[in-house]
Amino acid sequence: MIWQLDLSILTLIVICAFATIMVKDLLSAAIIFGAYSFLMCLLWTEMGAVDVAFTEASVGAGVSTVLFFAAVHQTTRRVRTRKSGRMLAKVFALMAALLTGLVLIIAETDFPGFASPFTPASLHLSPYYITQSLHDTNVPNIVTSVLADYRGFDTMFETAVIFTAGLAVIAILRRYKRDDRCDLPEPYVISEGYPDTIIRFIARQLAPFIQLFALYVVAHGHHSPGGGFQGGVILGASFILLAISYDSRMIIGIMSERLNILLGNIGVLIYAGIGFLCLLLGANFLDYSVLSKVLPATDKIMARSHGMLGIEIGVAIAVMAIVISIYLNIISHGKYDKG
Amino acid sequence: MDSFFIGTGVALCLLMLLTLHRAIHGPTAIDRIMGVNVIGTKTTILLVIIGTIYHRVDMFIDIALAYALLNFIVTIAASRYFQQHKNLNPKGYGYRFPAEDD
Repeated sequence: MIWQLDLSILTLIVICAFATIMVKDLLSAAIIFGAYSFLMCLLWTEMGAVDVAFTEASVGAGVSTVLFFAAVHQTTRRVRTRKSGRMLAKVFALMAALLTGLVLIIAETDFPGFASPFTPASLHLSPYYITQSLHDTNVPNIVTSVLADYRGFDTMFETAVIFTAGLAVIAILRRYKRDDRCDLPEPYVISEGYPDTIIRFIARQLAPFIQLFALYVVAHGHHSPGGGFQGGVILGASFILLAISYDSRMIIGIMSERLNILLGNIGVLIYAGIGFLCLLLGANFLDYSVLSKVLPATDKIMARSHGMLGIEIGVAIAVMAIVISIYLNIISHGKYDKG
Repeated sequence: MDSFFIGTGVALCLLMLLTLHRAIHGPTAIDRIMGVNVIGTKTTILLVIIGTIYHRVDMFIDIALAYALLNFIVTIAASRYFQQHKNLNPKGYGYRFPAEDD
């Protein structure tokens, strides 16, 4: 917590947020929102929430802005605003926003100070995590051990939520030839035009390194910020980079729709399967310490560490497949033929 | 030494304000893309500087690396958009969209 940096970053964030709302051009709004995401990542880093910042870094830089671009690319940049009427509704919305803000400002005075050790949240459970998690699980990064072990159940359903989001995008956007009743215009082909040798060369050379880095993030999540979500998003971003610089057909050749959905399923299944394996071995759901019975040469503590690595890999596979599948669906109008 | 790094960080934030002005005011979308790209580069440096202030660079270098590797994907995606659609500003220089009736 460095107040000088805190103040300057917060000022920039507020400017960015207003600019994103005020700009009438959707493409520009998406670009400025990218800057907003950079600054949010900085703010979180500066407050010490390194894992959250990493998630924001990988999602904001790699995926979300590109998905906005893809959506604008396939629809329109123009904003439609109502000019006439609805004055009452606007006044009412303004009043509601102001009132909520006022209530929040009043409530803010009751908050404990930043990082105060006497908040109710950090009085009961946090000391246990801080003092015992290394001893319990042999994982130095407390965030990973809380996320994947103590709160493994929550994280499993978070993965399921991402999987459901991917399914929803497929259900809405995917169009099959035999029951294609709506006549949308042909998708703009994002990679049509002259073959750009420089961009293609750089993307081709860089993609393996990005993937290697993503694998490092997944595997090293026990010791440094990172883990399954971040690594999976970076893996997906490397494929999106190839799809942008070449053609989405090339990516469909590597990661076909069937393979994508299969990988998404397998990822969630690995997570739930490890949980059920624990159940079969006679412990609670996702209680990894019992895995020492099946894993060779591990005691109960190392088994928890390995169990976490297993579910991180599952999360990474699921997130990667879902990210790629959402991008391909948006960019090809759900037809998977070009784009 | 810490005050030096804090000063550097604040100076970078001030420089970011200048690029943010370009990113918000445009006038063309290419200006905005370049502005945001420079903000991303400065973010990479600022992350390392924050890491140095906290004396845990090893924790922060991964995030900086992720930005360094992924920052240009957005730029390439935007350039692809303009390669396809050609017009940088839909109705010419400095045009503002009128509110459209529904």
